[in-house]
Amino acid sequence: MTAVATPVDNATALLSVRNLTCRFGAVVANDGVDFDVAPGEVHAVLGENGAGKSTLMKLIYGVYRPDAGELRVDGVPAAIDSPAAARAAGIGMVFQDLRLIPAFTVTENIALALPGRGLRFQRRALSARIAEQARRYGLPVHPDALVAHLSIGERQRVEILKVLMAGARLLILDEPTSVLAPQEVDALFAAVRALRANGLSIVIITHKLAEARAIADRVTVLRGGRVVLRNADPTGHTDAELVEAMVGRSVPGLASHRQPPGADVEPIVRLRGVDVTGDRGAPALRAIDLDLRRGELVGVAGVAGSGQRELCEVILGERRVAAGSVHIGAVAVHGRPRQALAAGAVGVPEDPLTDAVVPGLTVTEHMALADLGAARRGLGIDWRTVTADAARREERAGLRMAAGDRVVAELSGGNVQRVLLTRALGAPASVVVAAYPSRGLDIATTRRTQELLLEQRDAGAAVLVVSEDLDELLAISDRIAVLHNGELAGIVTPATTDRYAIGQLMLGGGQAGEDSGNDDTAGGE
Amino acid sequence: MTDTLVRPAPEQPKIVDNRAKLWPRVVVAVLAAPVIFGAFAAAKGVDPLAMYADMVRSLADPAQAQTVLVRASVLVLAALAVAVPARAGLLNVGGEGQIVIGAVCAAGVGLVTDQRLPGPVVLTLMIVAAMVGGAAWAGIAAGLRLTVKVNEAITTLLMNFIAIDIMLLLIYDPWKDASGFGQPASRPLEDTARLPLFVPGGTLNTGIVVAGIALVAIWWLMSRTGWGFRLRVVGGNPEAARRAGLRVGTLLVTSMLVGGALAGLAGLVHFAGTEFKLRPGMTANFGYVGFLASWLALHRPLRVASAALLLAAIAMAGDSLQIDANLPAASVNVLMAMVLLVVLGFTRRSKK
Repeated sequence: MTAVATPVDNATALLSVRNLTCRFGAVVANDGVDFDVAPGEVHAVLGENGAGKSTLMKLIYGVYRPDAGELRVDGVPAAIDSPAAARAAGIGMVFQDLRLIPAFTVTENIALALPGRGLRFQRRALSARIAEQARRYGLPVHPDALVAHLSIGERQRVEILKVLMAGARLLILDEPTSVLAPQEVDALFAAVRALRANGLSIVIITHKLAEARAIADRVTVLRGGRVVLRNADPTGHTDAELVEAMVGRSVPGLASHRQPPGADVEPIVRLRGVDVTGDRGAPALRAIDLDLRRGELVGVAGVAGSGQRELCEVILGERRVAAGSVHIGAVAVHGRPRQALAAGAVGVPEDPLTDAVVPGLTVTEHMALADLGAARRGLGIDWRTVTADAARREERAGLRMAAGDRVVAELSGGNVQRVLLTRALGAPASVVVAAYPSRGLDIATTRRTQELLLEQRDAGAAVLVVSEDLDELLAISDRIAVLHNGELAGIVTPATTDRYAIGQLMLGGGQAGEDSGNDDTAGGE
Repeated sequence: MTDTLVRPAPEQPKIVDNRAKLWPRVVVAVLAAPVIFGAFAAAKGVDPLAMYADMVRSLADPAQAQTVLVRASVLVLAALAVAVPARAGLLNVGGEGQIVIGAVCAAGVGLVTDQRLPGPVVLTLMIVAAMVGGAAWAGIAAGLRLTVKVNEAITTLLMNFIAIDIMLLLIYDPWKDASGFGQPASRPLEDTARLPLFVPGGTLNTGIVVAGIALVAIWWLMSRTGWGFRLRVVGGNPEAARRAGLRVGTLLVTSMLVGGALAGLAGLVHFAGTEFKLRPGMTANFGYVGFLASWLALHRPLRVASAALLLAAIAMAGDSLQIDANLPAASVNVLMAMVLLVVLGFTRRSKK
C-alpha cells in the first residue's frame, strides 16, 4: 500500500516534525520522520513494538536528540534539547510507567512538577486549583489523596493534570490505555475529548487500532522507523488497511471454534469455596467454586480489581486462601508456589516488573528459573542445559525473544513480556495461568500468543486466561468466568453469549452499574 | 514488500550502558579521594606531597608491609561477611559483633583445650567454634527478620554492642587473667595453638591463607553454584524468587549464616594470629572497615581482596599521618570515608 499524506497547513500546525532521524548504533530508530500536530486535535501514532513510536516521542520531548531533522513549534524552529525545554515550549509527556511518588499526596506530587515553588508552596491554593482543573477537564481526583491509595487509572489522571498544570498545550500520552481497564479507557477518552474541546492537542501512542478509531482525528502509522501513513483521516481507511500499514502484511484470523471438553472430563484444577483476603485486608475473592479441565481454556472477565489477580495467585500458590481449598490434581496448593510448580502449573504474571523480572539478570538466567532442578549439575548449574532448554522453548513459542545475554530489566515492556511468555508457554505444562498475556504486545505477537495458549490447551493443559479484551476472550475461550467484586458472577460459553451479557455480569448482574464504581480502587498492588 | 514478521524487532535503545565503563570510573574515584584529602591536609598546614611520600615510604618497610597483609586478611573475611548476605539483598552491619563472638568462641574453646590437646587439633576446634559462633550470632538477626520482620540492618548493628558487652563481661570476671596485673583481658593463647607464622619473628601469619581459601570458596559459591545464583535472584527481586518457587526464607537465612561464619572466622584469625588474648577494643573496627571494603568492591568476592588491601594500607599508612604529619589520628578515617563516598558516588548507576 502506498503512503497517503493529507495536506497539512504548516503555518497553523502546533508542532511540525520534519525529516527527523535518530540512530542508536547500527539501528535507525527514526528514519526521516515527518509528522504534524494541529491545534485542538487528537493525533494517534500507530505502530508495532519497535516501530519507533516511543523514540519519536522522546525526540519531541527532548529525552533524545535527533541526528538530523527539525522540530517546529508554532511554525518556528525550536531547539528542544531537554525535557525542560520541551515543557517550556508547551509540550508535556505522560509516560507509560507513571512517575509519581506514592508516599506523597496528589497536591504534593503536582507541586513538585511546578517550577519555582521552593520548599513552601501554598497547599490550599494549589489544592483548589487542582480541584478546579480536574473538574474542568473531567479528570476526577482528590487533591489530598495519597497517591499510594490511587488506582492506576487515577494515577494516570494525576499525571495528566500535572502535565497540564505545568503549562502544556500539547500532551503526549505514551500507550496510555495499556494499564487501564475498559471502563477506565472510556473515562480517559472522555477526558481527552474534554481537553480537545479546551483547545489542547493530544498525541496518543498506541498499537490498538480500535482505540485510534475511537479517539483520533488523524493517525500517523510508523513501521520500522519510517512513516508509512502520515496525518491520515482514520475514517478514510479500513481496519485491514491500517493493520497492513502497521504490520507490513495482513494478519490471518484465529482458527475457529471447536467442541470443548465435556463435563465428564475430570478437572485438574479445583477451587472449592475459596475466600481470599486482598492486600489491604478486604475480601478479594468470596466463595469461588471453579474447575479447570484438561484441554480447556477458561477466560476470566471482570472490571479491573474484581479479584482476577487473586484468582491467578491462589491457583499458582502465590497467595494463601482464607477459606476453602485449591487443588491441582491431587496436590493441595497452600500458598506455596513450589507446590503449584511441582504440580505442573506455570504462570504469566500480571505485573512482570514487580513479580518476575530480576534486575541485573539476563534472559538466559531468567529462563533458568523455569526449571532450576533440571539444570542442576552437582552444586552448580549446567548453563548449557539451560541454553538448550531456552532454545527449545524459543523455537516452540516463536515469539522472537531477545538475545540470551540481554539484561531483562533493560528490555522494553513488550520484549520483557516475550521472555516471560516464552518461559511459560514454550514447554508442556499441565496448568497455564496467564494474566493479561498480550499486554504490551504488537498485533502479530498477540496473535502468536493466543495461538500458543490454544496449543497448550490442545496439548492437554488446563488454561486460564485473564484479559481485559472481551473480544479476545470470546475468540479463544471455551468458557468465560465472570468476576464481580470478588465473586463468580457467572460462567458463560462464548458461542451462546454476547459481549453485552458478559458486560452485564461484570457490572453485577441485574442491578448493573450501581456498585461497580468502587471496583477500580479495590485492585492495584 | 519486506516481511516485518520475521525480522527481529529493534530493541528500545538505552541511554547509557555504563557497566562496561565501570572499572575506569572506580580507578578515577580512588584517585580522586587522595586529591580531596590532600586539600584537607593542605588546609591543615601539611604539605600533601610530602605526606603521601611519607605514607608510601612507610608501606615499603617490610614490617609494615607484613602488618598490612595481616590486617588485610582479617578485612577480607570481614568484607566477605558483608558481601554474601548483600547478594541476597541483606545488609549485614553486624560484622563487628560477629567478629567479637567468633573471637570469644575461639577463645573459649582455645583456652580450655590449648594446654591439653595438640596445637592443630586446638586450632581446628577453634575454627569450627568461631564459625559456628559467628553464624549463630548472625542467624539471630536473620531469624528476627523472617519471624517478626525486623530489618536486619538494625538488629545486626545493635547486636554489635551486645556482643562487645558479652566479651567484656567474660574478661572482667570469669576469663580474667589472674596474672594480668588487673588488666581486663583473658589469658594469652598457648604458642602451639596460634596460627603459624611464615617467618619466625615476623607478624605475617597463616591467617592470610585462611582468607585466601575463604575468598576462592566464596567466589566459587557465588558465581558457580546454584546457591549463588539463587541468592542473586532473591537479592534482585524476592517476590520473583518466591514465585519462581525458590525457598526465599532458607536462602536469606543461609546467606546470613555464611556471612556470620566468615565474620567469626575473621575473629579467629585476628585472635589466633595477632591478639592471642581477648581484650577491650581488640577488634579495631574490623567489622565496620570490612563493611566499607565490601561496598567498595560492590560485593564482588574477588574485588574484595583489592578493596581490603587498599583499606588496610590506608589504615597502616595513616599511622604515619599522626607521627610524621602531625595530623589527628582520626584523619585516616576521613580518608577512608572519602574513598568510599567517592567510589560509590562515581559508580552507582543513575536510574534514568
